Amino acid sequence: MSKFNSDETVLHFEEGIVGFPAMRQAALVRLPDYEPFWWLASLTDPHTKFLVVDPREIFTDYEPALPAEIAARLDLQSAEKPLIFSTVKISSDWTNTTINLRAPLFVNAATKRGAQAILSGTNFRHDERLPESVLSEEKGGE
Amino acid sequence: MLVLTRRAGEKVVIGNEIVVEVLSIGGEGVRLGIVAPRETSVHRYEVFSEIQESNRAAATDEINQSSIENIAARLRKQQK
Repeated sequence: MSKFNSDETVLHFEEGIVGFPAMRQAALVRLPDYEPFWWLASLTDPHTKFLVVDPREIFTDYEPALPAEIAARLDLQSAEKPLIFSTVKISSDWTNTTINLRAPLFVNAATKRGAQAILSGTNFRHDERLPESVLSEEKGGE
Repeated sequence: MLVLTRRAGEKVVIGNEIVVEVLSIGGEGVRLGIVAPRETSVHRYEVFSEIQESNRAAATDEINQSSIENIAARLRKQQK
């Protein structure tokens, strides 16, 4: 489970994230009203933020292999399970929302260091649509 | 951009640790061998570029509240 205890945790991305090399520090902010989503907000550029989610909250059998260079960069020993987040591209038509399963963010929960991987040799898409089970379910009345 | 001419078997070093070797040159392309520190990622540019575009498209200043609300509600309902 990708849960930190506090509502806001500062994460360190030594190499930034892909396309945002200056985004070295980012706040991971819990969104209680939009559980299980979080903001990942750059602390170097106030206009850059991403909606992220632990992709396993949506794709329960998603199990990306941790690339060796990411394990080395984050100093993850083989027994340690990193946290995983995927960026979400929210569309104004919610059914067109996509999730990046190809380039997950791995985070070492102990050191709060993270890195975005680009998985190779997989069929994971960078623009995976919501699963049918979510798309088809009737909206829950409250 | 730095431009160099290299023959098969010749190398280029980037920084102190990254070595790129031209392994062979054929009609279809050039085969490269890359030696880099184990924490360095190496990708074909097209793949990197695709993820870069995807990140840029996902980076947002604004929140489409109703879409997120809708998806979050469905996910929470599913988990019950």
